[in-house]
Order: sequence, then structure tokens, then C-alpha cells
Amino acid sequence: MSNKYVEMGMRSPVNLTWEVTLACNLRCSHCLSSSGEKACNELSTAEALDLVEQLHTAGVFQVNFGGGEPFIRPDFEEILAACHSHGIMTCISTNGTLITPELVARLGSNRLVAIQVSLDGAKRETCDAVRGDGVFDAAIQAVKLLAATRIPTSINTVLTTQNADEIPAMHDLAKSLGVSLRVSRFRPSGRGADNWESLRPSPSQLIAFSDWLAASGDVRTGDSFFSLTTQERQGLGLNLCGAAKLTCCVSPTGHMYPCAFLQSDRFEAGDLRTSSFQEIWDTSEIYASFRSLRIHSCEECTRFDQCHGGCPAVAWHLKNDINGGDPECLERCVTSIADNQLKEAA
Amino acid sequence: MRKSRLKNSQSTASAGFTKMAAAGIQLHPSCRARQEGFGLLFYDCRGPRLLFAATGTLLPADYYGTVRARDEFPAGVSDSQKQALQKFVTQLLEKGFLREQ
Ligand code: SF4
Ligand code: SF4
Repeated sequence: MSNKYVEMGMRSPVNLTWEVTLACNLRCSHCLSSSGEKACNELSTAEALDLVEQLHTAGVFQVNFGGGEPFIRPDFEEILAACHSHGIMTCISTNGTLITPELVARLGSNRLVAIQVSLDGAKRETCDAVRGDGVFDAAIQAVKLLAATRIPTSINTVLTTQNADEIPAMHDLAKSLGVSLRVSRFRPSGRGADNWESLRPSPSQLIAFSDWLAASGDVRTGDSFFSLTTQERQGLGLNLCGAAKLTCCVSPTGHMYPCAFLQSDRFEAGDLRTSSFQEIWDTSEIYASFRSLRIHSCEECTRFDQCHGGCPAVAWHLKNDINGGDPECLERCVTSIADNQLKEAA
Repeated sequence: MRKSRLKNSQSTASAGFTKMAAAGIQLHPSCRARQEGFGLLFYDCRGPRLLFAATGTLLPADYYGTVRARDEFPAGVSDSQKQALQKFVTQLLEKGFLREQ
């Protein structure tokens, strides 16, 4: 990952998260956006299609669709088709409950789509405790339908204290279904903030996961765990926060943010109903502040080159300080365990 | 909603690829390239992975959207620039951004 070029500034994001709706048929307890009811004033079909044109013009390579549940939007396939007509790659994050054989047949003919189905445990009871009764079975059914096509499919798991011990079994499950495993970091935003204490993995679970990840090269994490990434996985992904540098987030109502985990007024970069995508990317002061963000409190750390201070969103949500350094990075997990051992010994 | 003001996208799409009879190299269908201030930015959605190529304006972003011979470069590229570009092509092939056709 070449920070030099990233710091020179990109003409547009390489990829972005677009939460196309807040509507969701589930109420998962870790949901980053507190999804449920559709938001007032979500982008219309015409506005969404116009945004796709703007993303194409800007040169965005990939759109990661999330929500809410994207497939709830009746025009979602139209939005996808518009992306694909411009060669924009798409990745859809879905809860899997609305995946039907007909939908899979329609999507399967397309080579520009990838799908992540959320599943939060290798055991039915672990997953359904977070996502709701019956969701495990529905998600597995969706994965089976998708695995029979050429659509690149993964199971996406949010690491929590409840499922931390099941991650190797999830890896086996994914392999047995013929798909890959992607593990995402649990962050305290949306309902995830309300349920943070009951769901957050402990420092020792995070370290155990980091070790397991080092030995499991085929498991993907997106940018989620770079602050926990060991030397073995260097080169597999980013080693710095990409918010406003390489990525950004568009909300269901057309507001832009640095990333999906920073969707609040404090971090609003602009409104696509009053400014163009490119204008917001080029001129937003919020984006400028993220591009010049330096986590000085981390600069003395031996792992600084590997994580550059970690995830500012977690620092914001837990310490109300965007410059504060990631409270759950590998270094701080190790320190926290050592502190606890000292306290116990005293 | 206001329209973007940029007129031309310089990203490449796999849809327009043409397969030619002669063996050569071409951008992998999972990859894209676009022009940035330093040169070309390559993106591989399989990672996702990025590759920053300080090629300046020597190569257009869509250059490998069509099949090219390994030693083929745009007109006007000097011999020393060709040598540097050859190394760069080898790197792109090794890392899977380009593939042999
Ligand atoms: S986590 Fe996903 S599936 Fe669950 S409520 Fe949120 S958007 Fe819906
Ligand atoms: S703020 Fe955190 S979640 Fe958002 S892009 Fe940066 S590292 Fe990723």
C-alpha cells in the first residue's frame, strides 16, 4: 500500500459504500446503521441512476451496496444494471432472506457482481441470537443457491464475543459450501453502539483471532482488521484508513460521509441533492480533514507503519476523539491483557 | 441532483474488450485502471488490491483494454522509457493485473 500516492490525493474514491435503503426485514443487534424502517426522503430511482452516471464519470471502480437490505428496494436491480452498463464492479451485502432462485438466475448472468451473505455464527443458535429466528437457515439456503452459480460469493461474519470461538468452524462451513469467508470488525455504530458491551470481542479474543487470521490466508477482511494484522498478512490489504482517501459512503438519502461507520451530522461531507459527487469529493472540508489526519498519539508505536493509528471511527465512537488512535489495535489489546494480569497479581 | 462536471471517465471497462488472434497481453477482467496525477492506478476487485504505477502520462488508462504485444507501447515513447515500461508490464503480469491472451 503506497501511502505516498494516497497522500497526493485521488481524483475520486476507488470504491465506495452505498447504503441504498435503510429498510430492512431484520433487526440485527449489531447493525451499524440501525436499519429497520425506510428513511424519509431516500434517493428516488432517477436520483440513484443519476448518481451512477456521476460515479462512472468520476472513475469509481467499485460500488459496495449495503443498507438496510438492498434487495428490498424495488428498483435495486435497475441501479445494479446501470452500474454494470458502465463496467462498474458491484458487491452486494445482503442478509440473504430475499434471495430466490429467480433472482439468482437473473444475477448469475452478470460477471460484474459479487455477493456477501451475512451469517454470524457456525451454529444456528449463535447466529439467530443476533440476527433473528430462522435467519441462519435462510442465509445458508441463499449461499447454496449462489454457490451453484459463478457469482463470487462469500459468507460475511461480524466478529463478536459470542461467535469468536466459532470462526474456524465458519471457515470450514464456508469451504464446505464452496464459498469464501470474510470476517468484518464489529464497530460501535448504530445498534452496534447500543449493544457494544454485550457483543464486543475481548482483547484476548481479538488477539486469538489475529493469530488465526495470520495462518488463514484465504480469509478476507476488507480493511476491517488492519490494526490487528500481523506481518504474515501484510500486503493482503490496506495498512491505513481509506476514509475520504480511497473510499467514502453515500447514505440512502444521498448524503456523503467519510465511511459507513461515520454517518452522523458531525461527519457529513455533502448532500448530493445540492452538490455533485465530484464537487463533494474535491471540496468537502470533512474529507480534507480526514486526508490530513495524523494520529500523533500512535507515532511512537512500533506497529505504526503497519496500521497508522487504526480505525478513526472506533476511536470516535469509544473515545470521542478522531485523533485518539484505535482503542482495539493489536498493541493496545496486548497492553490491556498485561494490565489486567498485573491487577490480578497485585 | 446536480450533474458531475467532469466530462470523460478514464476508467476502463471489460465490456469493450476485443479478442484478437495474435497472442498478447490484456487487462484482467477483474481489474480496472484509471489516470491519476502520478500515473496509472490499477484496481483488482479480487483482493481488493491496488497498484500505483508512476507512469505519468506515458500510457493511457485504457491502453490494456485491448490486446497488446508485450513490447508494444504508444508512439513517441523513448527507448529508455520503453525499458522502464517493460519492467512495469512484467510486474503487472506477475501480480495478475494483466494476463496473457
Ligand atoms: S445487519 Fe444487515 S440484515 Fe441486519 S438489520 Fe442491519 S441491515 Fe438488516
Ligand atoms: S474509519 Fe475505520 S471503518 Fe471507516 S474506512 Fe477508516 S478504518 Fe475503515
